Amino acid sequence: MKATLGMTTNRSALWRRWQELRLIGQDPVLALGLIAVGAFVSLFVVLPLVLVIWQGFFDPTTQAVSFKYFSQFVDPYYMPHLWGILRNTMVMGLGAALGGTILGFIFAYALVRCSMPFGRAVHVVTLLPTISPPFAIAIATILLFGRNGLITRQLLGIRFGPGVNDIYGLDGLIFVQVVTFFPVAYLIIRAMLERIDASMEEAALSLGASKLHIFRTVTLPLLSPGLAASFLLLFVESLADLGNPLLLGGNSNVLATEIYQAVAGQFDQQKAASLSLILLVPTLTIFLLQRYYIGRRSYVAVTGKPTTGRIFVKEPVTRWTFIVLTLITLALVLLLYFSILAGSFTRLWGIDNTLQLSNYVTAFTRGLNPILSTTFLSAVATPLAGLLGMVIAYLVVRRAFAGKQTLDFVSNLGGAVPGTILGIGYILAFIQAPWYAVVLIFVLLAAYLTSRITSQWLPQLLIVLGGTVAGYYFNWLPYLLNVNEDGWRYLLAAGFVLLALAGAAGAQPGRRRLVALLFGVMALTLVIYNLSPLLTEPLGRWGRTLPGVNWPKVVARLVSFIEFFVRPNLAILGYTFLTLSIFAVMEMKAPWRLVVGFGAIALSGALVFFGQSLSLVGTPYIIVAAYAVRSLPASVRAGVAALQQIDPSIEEASTILGGDAQYTFRNVTLPLILPAFFAGLVFAFARHMTSLSAVIFLTTAQWPILTVWILSEVEQGGMSVAAAYSVILIAIVLVAIGLMSLWLKRTYGGRQDVDMSAGA
Amino acid sequence: MYLELRNISKHFAGREGAGEVRAVDDVSIDIGRGQFVTLLGPSGCGKTTTLRLIAGFEFPTAGAIVLDGQPINELPPNRRDMAMVFQSYAIFPHLNVFENIAYGLKIKKLSAAEIKTKVAGVLDLTELQGLENRAPNQLSGGQQQRVALARALVMEPKVLLFDEPLSNLDAKLRVQMRSEIRRIQQELDITSVYVTHDQDEAMVMSDQIVVMNQGRVQQIGTAVGIYRRPANRFVADFIGRANFLPVEVLQRAGDGWQVRLHEATLSVAAAGEAVQAGQAATLLVRPESVRLTPQATAASEILPARVIRTSYLGSLAEYELDLAGQHLIAVRHDPNEADLYPSGATVYVQFLRDNIYLLAEG
Repeated sequence: MKATLGMTTNRSALWRRWQELRLIGQDPVLALGLIAVGAFVSLFVVLPLVLVIWQGFFDPTTQAVSFKYFSQFVDPYYMPHLWGILRNTMVMGLGAALGGTILGFIFAYALVRCSMPFGRAVHVVTLLPTISPPFAIAIATILLFGRNGLITRQLLGIRFGPGVNDIYGLDGLIFVQVVTFFPVAYLIIRAMLERIDASMEEAALSLGASKLHIFRTVTLPLLSPGLAASFLLLFVESLADLGNPLLLGGNSNVLATEIYQAVAGQFDQQKAASLSLILLVPTLTIFLLQRYYIGRRSYVAVTGKPTTGRIFVKEPVTRWTFIVLTLITLALVLLLYFSILAGSFTRLWGIDNTLQLSNYVTAFTRGLNPILSTTFLSAVATPLAGLLGMVIAYLVVRRAFAGKQTLDFVSNLGGAVPGTILGIGYILAFIQAPWYAVVLIFVLLAAYLTSRITSQWLPQLLIVLGGTVAGYYFNWLPYLLNVNEDGWRYLLAAGFVLLALAGAAGAQPGRRRLVALLFGVMALTLVIYNLSPLLTEPLGRWGRTLPGVNWPKVVARLVSFIEFFVRPNLAILGYTFLTLSIFAVMEMKAPWRLVVGFGAIALSGALVFFGQSLSLVGTPYIIVAAYAVRSLPASVRAGVAALQQIDPSIEEASTILGGDAQYTFRNVTLPLILPAFFAGLVFAFARHMTSLSAVIFLTTAQWPILTVWILSEVEQGGMSVAAAYSVILIAIVLVAIGLMSLWLKRTYGGRQDVDMSAGA
Repeated sequence: MYLELRNISKHFAGREGAGEVRAVDDVSIDIGRGQFVTLLGPSGCGKTTTLRLIAGFEFPTAGAIVLDGQPINELPPNRRDMAMVFQSYAIFPHLNVFENIAYGLKIKKLSAAEIKTKVAGVLDLTELQGLENRAPNQLSGGQQQRVALARALVMEPKVLLFDEPLSNLDAKLRVQMRSEIRRIQQELDITSVYVTHDQDEAMVMSDQIVVMNQGRVQQIGTAVGIYRRPANRFVADFIGRANFLPVEVLQRAGDGWQVRLHEATLSVAAAGEAVQAGQAATLLVRPESVRLTPQATAASEILPARVIRTSYLGSLAEYELDLAGQHLIAVRHDPNEADLYPSGATVYVQFLRDNIYLLAEG
């Protein structure tokens, strides 16, 4: 009896899951959005991580199962070295987390409770490190406290020789990480402090408790989830950090640098993968802990408004202790940033301190390529991350469906794991086409398309299968007809023209032009692909005739940027065409749907399955994907925060007044969330610009990345030029924030502004 | 019937697989064209879910919703030809008053001229003339309420739905708006379903009141019906104030019943259907149906009681009495000094035969 009861509940739960998905499936925009974000996170988060873990157990040359690098941890020969690395990693992580949390608490308490003078300005300056490149503080620290440091050598006159403790090593590294990461702790603890209802502390006060007693028994326990959350987050960030340990680690290697050197120095993928797994264990544990134990609070709580009643510390001793500590730290942060600025203008820091512009001349000449490329790729990745973030946020906040938790989790995971590991995963996954994934995504899209044609499963299966196979064999056409790649694309374009004609003939009245236009655009895209050299080649030639060093480079970059758009990866093009075809097919009359649907599957299949398909390593698209993955948590958060400002009944009001889901989204939801969403999106751009670890293995000579250049500049001892690069990078991010703020103010008239707190 | 709910249920999955929550459980309601029906009940009783099922924001797990002869179970809200006034008003913050009211008409693809006429008409009706170009954040709460009402009225919907629309207004405005909504509803003869937890609102406005509790309909009736002849103890307790006294049913007496309460024999004019002679029952006595006298009279239906506390509230006095170990609340309107019995005094209690009611359950 009991068992039967259990069965029914199970079936009805499953049935409900299916109904939820069916409900989403009825709305093509939503369904395709779900497929798109699902495919994106599967390809660029799950697949790479799985492959990294997998690779750790296989010898790359023989493909035999091997635990070589795991067994080294118990091998007496390797043990001291390996356990030393683990020890260093833990000490660094714990030190940075502890220091950062304490500092973050001091700042939060001073700003929220001690009526800090100039609080607003202090808040903004505190957040500077969140939009700086990952090792800006490290460079500044070397400039100030290094062997030739302004303070250590010039002011204190310390001469560094053997046996003198210098900035390089764990202590210096922890110092730099604390300064780099404490703003994150500050934001978390600040939000927590603001949400503590003042009446609780007042209640304790009225019961006769002393201030210190209240702090110990009321404030601190209420704050402890925030303190724990910030400690864990900082620990993870510290472990994931690559730039600072590379610059300042000295002889103290940590896991992140060891992994980097395994790939970049020893070309040993298995070693890198094994160490990555070991680094992933604490990272994932904490991430899960954070999410399901401490982080068990709804998004509403996170974005919740501060309570109205504020209380301030009145005793001068406590108040001023916090304020002074904050001011001292702040002065240090400002001094560090000032030293970057100063360093970028000096000839040779510490030796020849004459101010001059030559570093910037060098930066803009030698570094023009990375500056332009990084800005371009970061900018391109921003709307991508924004779109994905918006879709995920919408699905998570407004829809109920199976896998929602997983989607939310995985989209956050990509930003949380050490970027180095992600980068190694990208190489493993995309050095060749990941065929199973390529086919799976294609079949998923094709299946959704056929579900719009017929509801019977057998014809569905046949169309998907037939279309996919036909698409695959279209690739043989060039050989059979003896045409080159261009000719083949012209053939496909002709196919899309036929679909456009069929669309014009067989679409529902009033929709003919739309369908013809959709397929026409696809044909045109292929033709432009073929013809683009007619524009880019002369442009490139003309660029080379320009005077000076910089203008030819600018034009050459421009050519690359144009090619980025008009000659994209064919598989990406194929997926896009298939997705658009679904909308076209839905506008067709029933008998035409089959023919056009089959044709669309076959033609896009030809593009998807052509050559090495999604072998993205070496292309700029993988960098864009990596950027988008890194900033996805920020974009999702921006989307969630924006959506949560809207009372769901506003959307319901639109629906019951006759607007369907899409009309409602376009006319109500979108206009309401856009300003807040854009404001949040500028930090996705900042995150892209400052990314290092995830793209360090993906950058190419054709597409150099600024952060990687800064690193190599420092390693070669060009501190002043590196400082100049850092200043330029920070300036680009600040200009982006400024422009966004300006635009928002002009368009939405002060209703919306960029909130610096959204950056961390 | 114009709008019928036939045995509808709505179950939600419980939190983390903890079974199901039956928000609405086998509810049947018939609503005639032009009627004003109120769903009344405590929070969590399923009234709002029922309204959302009618609107189409949720689909029923079981049962059928029929509008004008057509089943509309899984018809999305935008194709139901209904309109709703929300508790939060749900005014589009990025549109001005005119654009808000014209929103649904635009979706209907009416001409600009038609839209203008219709909006002007409903602006008159809701007394919002001159505010067309105001942004929502420049309106008072009452004005926002009117905009929400106007935006729904202008659609001339088949059914007009209200989800606790007055709960965010202050008391005075609430009283004013409820008679205004009723006036407009009767003027336009719009079928309306109104959700509230405020019994005054329900009683003043409705043709029919549906009292709900724990997802089920407790009683459907007029204001007089549910107050004077409640179907069960929950309804009696939820609507107004009530004393429940355990009695023994003796026999039928004419059109009423005779019951025994302690030593006394009382006659009751009206009773629920399930009442049977020889069984225990509950006597429902409203505080205002109790008469107190300082001296015993000869009448047999009089009981002595002790005053525990007397509260003077100006327009009325309220007494807490001990009636042979039973707690009893009584009220006297327009009391004078002589009516203010001191604590501990003995008074004699008499119930108004025609105003008390016999409930079957124990």
